[in-house]
This record gives sequence, structure tokens and C-alpha cells, in this order.
Amino acid sequence: MRRVVITGAGVVSSLGDSPAALHAALCEGRSGLRPVELFETGMLGCPLGGEIKSFDARNYLGKRNLRPLDRTSRLVASAAQLALDASEWTAELRADREVGLVLGTMFCSVHTISEFDRRALEAGPGYASPMDFSNTVINAAAGQTAIMHNLRGTNTTVSTGTTSGLNAIAYATDLIRGGRARALLAGGADELCFESFYGFDRAGLLCHTTGAAGDFPIPFDARRNGAALGEGAALLMLEDAESARERGARVLAEVRGHGGGFDCSRGKKDLKAVEAISRAVRLALSDAGVSTREVDCLSASANGSPARDWHEAHGVACVFDDSSRSLPVTAIKSMLGETLGASGAMQAVAMLETMRDGVLPGIPSLQELETDFPLAMLSPESREVEVHCGLVNSVGLDGNSCSLVLARGEEF
Amino acid sequence: MQRRIVITGIGAVTPVGTGREQFWDNLLAGQSGIGVVESFDTSGYSVHRGAEVRGFRVEDYLEHTEASQLGRASQFAIAAARLALADARVRPDALDPERAGVAMGTTSGEPREVERFDDAFVGKELSSVGAEFIARYPCHVISEHVASELNFAGVNMMIPTACAAGNYAIAYAFDMLRAGRADLMLAGGSDAFSRITYTGFARLGAIAPEICQPFDRNRKGMVPGEGAGVLVLEPLDGAMARGAHVYAEVAGYGLSCDAHHMTAAHPEGDGAARAMRQALEQSGVRPEEVSYISAHGTGTATNDRLETIAVKRLFGDAAYKIPISSVKSMLGHTMGAASAIEAAVCALAVNCDRIPPTINLEEPDPDCDLDYVPNYAREHRVNVAMNNAYAFGGNNASLVLRKCEV
Repeated sequence: MRRVVITGAGVVSSLGDSPAALHAALCEGRSGLRPVELFETGMLGCPLGGEIKSFDARNYLGKRNLRPLDRTSRLVASAAQLALDASEWTAELRADREVGLVLGTMFCSVHTISEFDRRALEAGPGYASPMDFSNTVINAAAGQTAIMHNLRGTNTTVSTGTTSGLNAIAYATDLIRGGRARALLAGGADELCFESFYGFDRAGLLCHTTGAAGDFPIPFDARRNGAALGEGAALLMLEDAESARERGARVLAEVRGHGGGFDCSRGKKDLKAVEAISRAVRLALSDAGVSTREVDCLSASANGSPARDWHEAHGVACVFDDSSRSLPVTAIKSMLGETLGASGAMQAVAMLETMRDGVLPGIPSLQELETDFPLAMLSPESREVEVHCGLVNSVGLDGNSCSLVLARGEEF
Repeated sequence: MQRRIVITGIGAVTPVGTGREQFWDNLLAGQSGIGVVESFDTSGYSVHRGAEVRGFRVEDYLEHTEASQLGRASQFAIAAARLALADARVRPDALDPERAGVAMGTTSGEPREVERFDDAFVGKELSSVGAEFIARYPCHVISEHVASELNFAGVNMMIPTACAAGNYAIAYAFDMLRAGRADLMLAGGSDAFSRITYTGFARLGAIAPEICQPFDRNRKGMVPGEGAGVLVLEPLDGAMARGAHVYAEVAGYGLSCDAHHMTAAHPEGDGAARAMRQALEQSGVRPEEVSYISAHGTGTATNDRLETIAVKRLFGDAAYKIPISSVKSMLGHTMGAASAIEAAVCALAVNCDRIPPTINLEEPDPDCDLDYVPNYAREHRVNVAMNNAYAFGGNNASLVLRKCEV
């Protein structure tokens, strides 16, 4: 089986537009959550969101025609440019060899879809824009990005809710392992928009806060009462290890393995929910050929959800047994918010940085854990941890769960 | 030696019928499922026809889920999944749940849920939209609803790669089975008739006013449709052990992207030809061995012309000897379900050595000069079938099925 390595990463987030900037912000405990400005939040229960203030895709894409791209597509095309630059996949190289894209997204742009439909409702179907229509498909961002960057290989959009980004990396890993592709950008994206925000609010999934930035959400804390939504795009350049070596690419890390689990109760039965999460972790470790003792830290999916954070903690504990209490854990959604389809890929990018400099971000505002909580190495401040092998978790709202094992790339 | 993967069950919910037999018989008879749109009022449009699923009763297929929790695409998907399992003679409760998975494709997910949101928004009654929006709208709920209804706890994947999505989902399931990550996969696609989709294609001027006539000189466009197709995929050894009927073997697939234009195919059929070539190479099949091609064949002027160019580019002179047909002439374009339904057509063609026709093909187009099996089904030995699908975003997916020789 071919080995899969990461040769670059690109990220556009509320906490910075490079892996290093994102990591620095996370390690300082800075929050990207602020009162939302993109749309009116007056009627909504939670005013906070991880919005990328003054996002301008021209900073990354130059003078190219951006008019046909909606916000999600601009986020993806920007992150793709950054990942291509970081991995030195020049336009010339891309003209010669196929690069593909596997994008995870929960909504792509439900805002574009809804606006297109509302325009037709208000003004008549003859006034809906044909150009906007091509952006109403859920694979619009992947398609637009392929056009912009000449990505002629496999172009797949993966949508498994908030686990989309990590599942996209898993999907791409399998394509490379199976010899079906040599080089794939893989990760995820979602934008912050009224439609999804409204839906999460009505479903009671968002945290209650007075609006002061900084206190909520608090993953794993006993006082947690919901998530905040965020936005962004994060992409890894995944390559067949041999091809990467041949072209002299710098290897950041290896994707060692992944696993998934589905909970047929869709989060409603605690035992089943915990079991599905633990199965994803166990399958990922076994796919990677790594024991629990070799895992140096966990980037948790926890976003402040009362039920799902508990499920995740216990799911991890089922696999790690007593050692779960000595496993260093971070939950970066405390600062980025729940970036939906981007979230797992954001965590993977942050993990690469932790591997590089040995600092694991903390969970700001974390004060108290429930009694007998199975995870204990959690702290509000970042800490030093030597990481050779990191576990990244992605736990969906409603049943899907995915885990990924990353290892430092020193042997390549 | 890699695990060989076979198709042992077919489930279809389509505008020409539900269930393998009705669906297949009607396709062979050249029956059209296109009629006047009933899902919504089309008086503001210049076109009024579509290919809808009529008389569908989801209650007949539900054992554990409330119908009210499900959008229409999820309902179709569950029905097609149950039909496929019954067709394969698999009892879902007899499977190891962790080794049973679901992979589905879609173009629009559950568009009616966002349409309901929009109606409320425009009518200034947004407060009538509650928690059900997030529970029913995001497209991943389709594969989750199928899995949860059937207690399939294994691999669960949704691939919204627009109108080629069904092929992507089948390809994914094929890889998961080969890699040993599952022992049985339900794979297919589902889409519900949607005002948004209809509006969009109407604005592109792509909808035919009356009939869908792929490859005809006077073709006037596609006809939006809806439905679901789901296949049961499993390793050959498992299928043989339980004495299952095998329709066809999945030989391989190819995926590519034009990286050229969001809605228009590459003018020389570059991406489409690359996907077909990759599919043949990975299947170990020579171009002249292909005995049937299920075309994407939407009925638009551009698609059918460029698809013909792409087939000729890859197959050369052999292109003229391979029967090609488009069941979209009868089913309309069922969006994310289309290539899954067409994969079912390919499996049945391989199984029965019969090819459904391209109906409404009266006047040949000089630009489309291949054998499109006009108007009447044909008996023809089908050893290898290729299923082509193309999508917005410049996505191309080709799947190769063949007779399963043991």
C-alpha cells in the first residue's frame, strides 16, 4: 500500500490565514469569536460567530475574475492557492501533472441557494440569475476552485455534516493509497451565513451568552451550553510518498490512518453514540498500526455541545482506558467556533503546527470538569507536548464520526 | 489478489416505476415518465413539464423512522434501499451492523426544505421554521436516514457531486469493499423534484418544452426529474457463499475534472475521455471490448454533441460499433440519482443482454452519428457496460460493469 504524506497546507480562518498564524493565535488563547457583522443577528439567540473580518479573496487570488465565486468558493479557492504555494505545486507543474481536489462541506453555500430561490419568488423565475444557479450545486466551490487552479484530477465533494473536512482527508488518503491519484488537495470549508446560523439557533445548538466575547463556548467544561458557529477553509496537499520524494517535496507529516463510525441512534442514545465514536478512534489507530501508548495528543471535536462533548470524552476513554486521563487534549473550536465542514481540516492543520513546535493549544475559559470526567489533561493555557503522533477527532451532530492519525514526517 | 465486488440487488424509485421489474420493463418498452409538473405551480415559467415520481408512499418502506422526519430525497433513498435489499434477498437485521455501510450521491440534497425556509422568509413568517430545518435539510442526512432506518452502523458517506454523484457513490462503495472496510454496501443516488433546480435550468434555457430527445437533430433540451437508485454491492466470495444472484461485477471506474467551465463541458471532451480511459485501464478492459455505453445523454444540444466527440476520441472507430443509449429520454434527468439509476440499467443490461432504447429519436443529427439504439429496445450480448455521467463543476465519472465470470 502506498503511503500518504502531507506536503503543504493552506488555511483561511478567523484567526489567521496561515497555519503558523492560526497556531500562534490558538496557543495564545485568542478567540476568533466576535459579534457577527455579515448579517443581522437581532432575532437570534447567539450574537457570536467566528467570522473572518474583512475577508478579501483578492489578497490570495490577485486580479483573477472572482465575480462568479460566492463566499464559500472564494474561501476554498484562497485556501487552495495557499496550499499549492506551500507545497510548491506551481502552475507549470499542474499543467504537466494532474492534481485533484476532495472538498468536505456541510452546506457549500446554502446562502447562495436560498438567495437564488428567494429572488425567483420575489421577482419571478425569469429574474433568477443563471450564473448564481451554477453555484447552487453543493459541489460549486470544488468546481470553481478546480477551474481557477487547473485541478484536472478527481474532484469530489464530501458532505457528512461537521465531519466533512476530516472525511474528505480520509477519502483522499484512500484514493492515493489505492493508486488512484498521486496528488490531492483535501480538506473542508463552510461559510458563516444567516441560513445555517438561523437553523443552528432554532435547533438549540448554539451557546447562550451575554454577547461578551471570550467566555463561551467552552468545550468539555461543566458549564458548556452549546457551540458558536465559525467559518473558513483548510486544505492539505496530500501526496503519494514516493511521488513527493521524486519531486523533492518537503514532507510535513504522514497520514497514518483513519476510521469512521456511524451511530444509528443519531446521537440520541448515549451508549450507541459513545460506541460509534470509540469505534472510529479504534479503527483509525488500527488502520495506522499505532497503539494508544504511541498517541501523544488529541485534537478533540468538542465544540461546547452538552451531549456531544460528553459522548466524545467517553468514546475516547473507551479506547484509551485509564490512560485517557494522561492524554493531552485540545479543543480548538473553543476559539474558532464550529466551522462545520472546515472544522476537521482546521484541526488537522493545527495539529501539523503542534507537531512542528511542540505546543498544544489550551481551551480558554475552561474551569471545571464534571466529576469522574474521563479526560483530565485539559487546561485553559497551552502546554508543551512533544508530538510524534497525533489523533484528530471529528464528531458529527447526528451520527457520523471520523478519526485521523497523523505522524511526524521525519522518516521521509 | 484484490476482492472482486459484485452487484446483487437493485432498487429504483423512478418516474417510470418503482422496483426493479416495473422500472426495467417500462424502460425496455420505451415508456416515458415525463408529464406536466405537479410539485409546484409552473405558471410563471415558459416550460411546464417534468419527470416526477407519482403515487409514492414512503410508509410502505418505513419500520423505524417517522415519515414526518424525512425530506423527499431521504424518503426515495430509503425506499430504493429497502427494495435493493429485498431484491438481493438480504435481511438487514441478519447483517453485522458495523460491517454494513451506505454511500449516496445527490445534486441538491433536500431542496424542498430550503424552499420551505425561503417561502417563510419571503412571506415574513420565518418563525414558522424551527429545529426541523437543520434536522432535515443538510444533504448528509440522506445517507444517515438510510443507515439509521436499516441499522447500518458502518461506513456512511454522502457525495454531492451534482449530476454524476451516483457514480461517485458507487465508486466509493466499491473502494470501501475492496479495502475491507465493509462487507456490504448500499450505494446510489437520490434527488427530489425541486423548484430551485427547475428555475435554474429554465433560466439556462435548457429545459425541453415537450419531450426529451437525446441525440436527435431537433432536440430541445433536458427535462428535470426525480427519483432514487440504490444498488447492493458486496464481495463476490460473500455473494457466492450465500447463493446470491449476481447481476454484474464492478470492474472499475474513472473520475476526472475538466477544470474548464462550471456548466459547459470541455469543447474537445477532454475530461470525459480521461475518465473513460482511466475506467477502462483500471478495469483491464480494452475499448473494443465494451458492448454497451449508457450515455449521460441529457438531450441538450451541447451535451449530446460533446459526449459524442468524447466517445469517439476515446474509442476511435470502435465507437461506431458500440450501442449507446440514454434512458433520460424516458426518465428525464433525475439529477444525483441519474447515474445510480443508469448503473442499475447497465447491471440489468449485463444480466439480461438487453439494451433499453433512446426514445424520441426521429431525425439523426450529423454531429451525433453513433448507434444510439433508437426507439426500440435491443437484444445484444452485453459483456461489458460503461456508465458515463457528467456534472456541473466539470466533473466526469465513468463506471465499468461486466459479466461476472467465476
